[in-house]
Formats: sequence, structure tokens, C-alpha cells
Amino acid sequence: MSYLSISNVSKVFGGVVAVEDFNLEVEKGEFISFLGPSGCGKTTTLRMIAGFELPTSGEVVLDGENITYKAPNERNVGMVFQSYALFPNMTVAQNIGFGLQVRKTPADEIQTMVKEMLGLIHLEKHAEKYPYQLSGGQQQRVALARALAINPRVLLLDEPLSALDAKIRVELRQEIRRIQQKMGITTIYVTHDQEEALSLSDRIVVMSQGHMEQVGTPAEIYNRPTTEFVASFVGQLNLLPVSEVDLKNGVCKLNGQLVRFDHSEPRQISDKPRLAIRPEEFQFGQTEGRNLIQGRVEVVMFLGAVVRLRVRIGEVLVSVDLFNERNMTLPRVGDEVMVNFPPHACWIM
Amino acid sequence: MVEAMKRSVFWSWFWMFIGTLYFILPLISTFLFSLRAKKDVLSFLAYERIFADVNFWRTFGFSLMVGFFTILGSILLVVPTAYWIRLRLPKLRGMIEFLTMLPFVIPAIVLVFGLIRVFSGAPFFLTNTYTGTNVLLVAAYVVLALPYMFRSVDAGLGAIDVRSLTEAAQSLGASWPTILFKVIFPNLRVAILGGAFLTLATVIGEFTMASFLVGIKAFGPYMSLIGQNKTYEASSLTIISFLLTWSFMGLIQLFNRGKSDSALAGAH
Repeated sequence: MSYLSISNVSKVFGGVVAVEDFNLEVEKGEFISFLGPSGCGKTTTLRMIAGFELPTSGEVVLDGENITYKAPNERNVGMVFQSYALFPNMTVAQNIGFGLQVRKTPADEIQTMVKEMLGLIHLEKHAEKYPYQLSGGQQQRVALARALAINPRVLLLDEPLSALDAKIRVELRQEIRRIQQKMGITTIYVTHDQEEALSLSDRIVVMSQGHMEQVGTPAEIYNRPTTEFVASFVGQLNLLPVSEVDLKNGVCKLNGQLVRFDHSEPRQISDKPRLAIRPEEFQFGQTEGRNLIQGRVEVVMFLGAVVRLRVRIGEVLVSVDLFNERNMTLPRVGDEVMVNFPPHACWIM
Repeated sequence: MVEAMKRSVFWSWFWMFIGTLYFILPLISTFLFSLRAKKDVLSFLAYERIFADVNFWRTFGFSLMVGFFTILGSILLVVPTAYWIRLRLPKLRGMIEFLTMLPFVIPAIVLVFGLIRVFSGAPFFLTNTYTGTNVLLVAAYVVLALPYMFRSVDAGLGAIDVRSLTEAAQSLGASWPTILFKVIFPNLRVAILGGAFLTLATVIGEFTMASFLVGIKAFGPYMSLIGQNKTYEASSLTIISFLLTWSFMGLIQLFNRGKSDSALAGAH
């Protein structure tokens, strides 16, 4: 049996289903992200693991112990909140030591642990400061140290970086991963930021409207999305209407032109089949063995490392991302272009 | 433009001056009157007489004690209630707020008659003993202080993220008493003090309930008695009670300023 097991968990709030039939097995030391838009049930699921919400049905088993109906203060689960939730009346050191003090740990042990945690988050010089004297990033580090100081069985992070600016966010997420790997602590991380989830996680659970859409490694989620929701939520995706789909041989027609696609995985297609392809799979020009489509450039956006184009192919506008090169000649609006893409990079939905 | 600004500044000062006169003039008159206890000489004789009066100290001490227990009772009743409403029953907040405002609407005389009627017979014989009557007075004042204490504490709770702080403490293993006394109460210090001082100021000068329940033992009825019998002493007592009330207000400001100064220090 795995370290953390969430089985058939559902949560209904006054007739509204927030989470439905959630099943997940988490191994010890694993970093799992719950990814999805607002209201998809990711935070509710996390709160059920923490004990702040009781499941309507199902059970949560941690390290062989059924904790479904256990009080939050008896679970030994560390939690980091989006709003930091540091105690304003306590110094940094007192905040970090609070959990140990509650457990009646001897004072010298608390002191040692606080010192160790301060070293871990590189805030040794701020021990006697109050939360309002720290920046947002520093406050969140203290919140992380406070949650880790009690040596929790699982660390839960509820959108911990959402309130921080972009640069601090990137720094702190690397910090979180470093600390998690160093301590080998099982971690559940809730986020709506796909980049965060992809860069941090061992596995990602993509959620939508209370359902689990897909569970997999970041590469699986991005490269092999199993549902249209996952494909469009994680990264950008072009969905181009196609006709005369031959699933057996992997061919269809796009704007009257024959296109080959990946048919290695069995898939169900809808009444209105569409060809799915990510913008970065396109290239300009003609290359042997790749699908070739003619289009007209309608929008050119220079984004630095990437040049994002909108190319009209028949009735639809397609997003095309080209990696910038120093000597690259940018296409102009109105240019007729030939775009190509490999058959293995597109699939039918 | 500059002329208009100058004119605006002039009128601001003018209205402030008028407002100050409106408040200060009666006080100055009362103060000057209180100094005329000795014929043809300005003196503090009325104040000396008041401070020399054993009843002044006895009644003031009694009301101070009643004020202390009222504050204690109010804190123990209001803080957990307001906290729980914020945390678990936010929909009831409007109703509770309305209930706490009732002492403003129901006259004190109605309240005190109701209390005497209910607590003079079986099963509660509170008015039959001194202690019982004192307990009843404190309980009545707790009700009277509800609007001040609840609004103050509720505003304080609104200023902190009650839910996240509670959940953070819970996840760290804290029990409900630990959360209340180590996390919530310390963060409501200023709000509780604000409510407490307002309560004390109200209790010290309250007349209706005190006169019906404990009579001349309390400071309010004592002030009234002095007002009826001794003209100059009554004026001096007015000034003394005014200074006492303003001292309490000053203390609130002092505590609030300490808090806002530290908040400003962190705003970088």
C-alpha cells in the first residue's frame, strides 16, 4: 500500500459537488501537484487531507492510518497557506517554534530546531523580527519553515506563491523543491500555474469541475494529454477541424490537404473531429517526411525567446511559435507561408 | 488658485475654532464655577472637599471594581462568540450585531425593571443578597457594554485573517484553548482594550441601573446626589469625571498609536 492513499473521496457543499470520486496513491517522498482552474476542487481535496473539510464519502489513509475523520491538530500534517498565515504577535523564531511548543517539546530542542530551520530558509538574521517586518517572500519562507519544524508526515501547500511577484515566485519555487528533496518529505502542492506544476512535480493531478482529468509525470501531462481539457489547460493547443479521418492509417484532411497524425494510441473521436497540435511543433518551409500546409500570416508578436504568429489556414487561425534566432528574418503580416509539422506531434481529438 | 486655497484654509480654521469653542466653553465655565467655592477667591476648595469625602473614594472604588468584572465578563462572552461567528457562522453576523445593539434601543430603566422582576423570585434570588445584587449589576453592565465590546472585537477580528490563522495553528497541533489564548486574544489586544476602556467609561458614570440595584454604593448615584446638594462640588465632580473619561480615551489612543507606529515600521 502506498504512503498516502485517497480513495473514492467526494465532497458536496449544499448540493454542489466540489470533488467527485477522487482516487490517488502517493508514494513516500513524492512531490504531487494538484493543477486546475479556480473552482476545480483542488483546494477542497487538499483541505480534506489536512482535516479542515470532512469528505462526504471516501477515505484518506496516511501511513497505514485512516485519518478521514481525525481532527486537523491530531494529523501531524504541515500546511502552508497562500496568505502566509504567520502569527502577527510572534517573532519569526516564535512562529517556527510554535508547533513544537504546542507539543511541549523541551526548550533547548525547540531552540535547536528553530536554528536549523532558519538555516534551511536562509533567514538566520531575521529570527527576532515580526512578520510585518519581512517581505512577502521571506514571510512565505518562514511559513514553510514553521510547517516543516514539526516534522510533518505530509507537507501541504495551498497556492503558496500566488501572492508573490514573478521573480520571487521562480526563486521560491526552486527553494521549495530543494528543501523538499533535501528532507525527502511527501508533498502535495496546489496551484493553477502550469509552469509551477510542470517544473516542481514528480507527478501532476490535473483537475476540472471536481474531477480528476489526468494523473501523470509533467512530460506525460504535456506530451500525452488524454483529454481535451488537459491538452488545452496545460500549454497552448491548436484544435483544427478536419475531415475524412482514417484512424487506422492515421490520415485526415485539413483544409482539403492530406495530413498524417499519430495513431499509435487508441483514441475516441468526437462527432466533429479536430487535429490537436502544439504551437511549438510548427516550422516554416518544406521538410521531408513532415505535413505541409499553406497559410497567411495575420499577426506577428515578438516575445523575446519566442516569436508568436497567428497564421490563417482556411477558416481557422493557428498559433505558431517559432524559436527566435539572432539572424532570423521575421515574417510580415500578409505573407503567404508554408508551415510544416511532424506527424507524430499531432493527434485527433 | 492660490487665493482660493488661502480662502479654503481660512474657513477650515474658522470652523474648527467655532467647533472648539462649542465644546470648550461649557467646560471652561463649569471649571471656573467649580473654583468659586470660597467667596471672592478662586480656589480648589470644591476639589479638596470632593477628594476628602470618603464616599467619593468608596463609590469610585466600587464602580471601578464593577467595571473590572464587567470587562472580564464581556471579554469572556464576546471574544469567543465573535470569533466563532467569524469562523463558522458568518451568516449570523448581521443578526448578532443587531442583538448587541439592543441596549442602545431599550432604555436602561426598562432593562433594570426586567432584571429586578426576573431575579427577585424563584428560581433566582439574586436581589436578596449584596453579592447577588452585585453579580446582577455586573451582568446588567455586560449587556449594556455589548455594543461597545462586540463592535470593537468584531472590527479587530476583521483586521486579521481569522480563518487562516486558526487553520495554521490547528495544523501545527494547537487545541481550541491554545488557539484562543495564544493566537486570537494576543492579536485582538488593541481591539479588546478599546472595548474595555469604553465599557469602563460607561460603567463609571452609569446612573439608572446602579441606583435601582445598589443605590448610593456606586459612583453614578453618588455624582447625582452631590449634584442635588452641593453646587460647587457638583461642578468639580463633572470636571473630574470628564478628565477620567478623557484619560481612558487617551489610553486607547496611546495603545493604538503604539500599534500603528509598529505597522508603519514594517511598511517598506
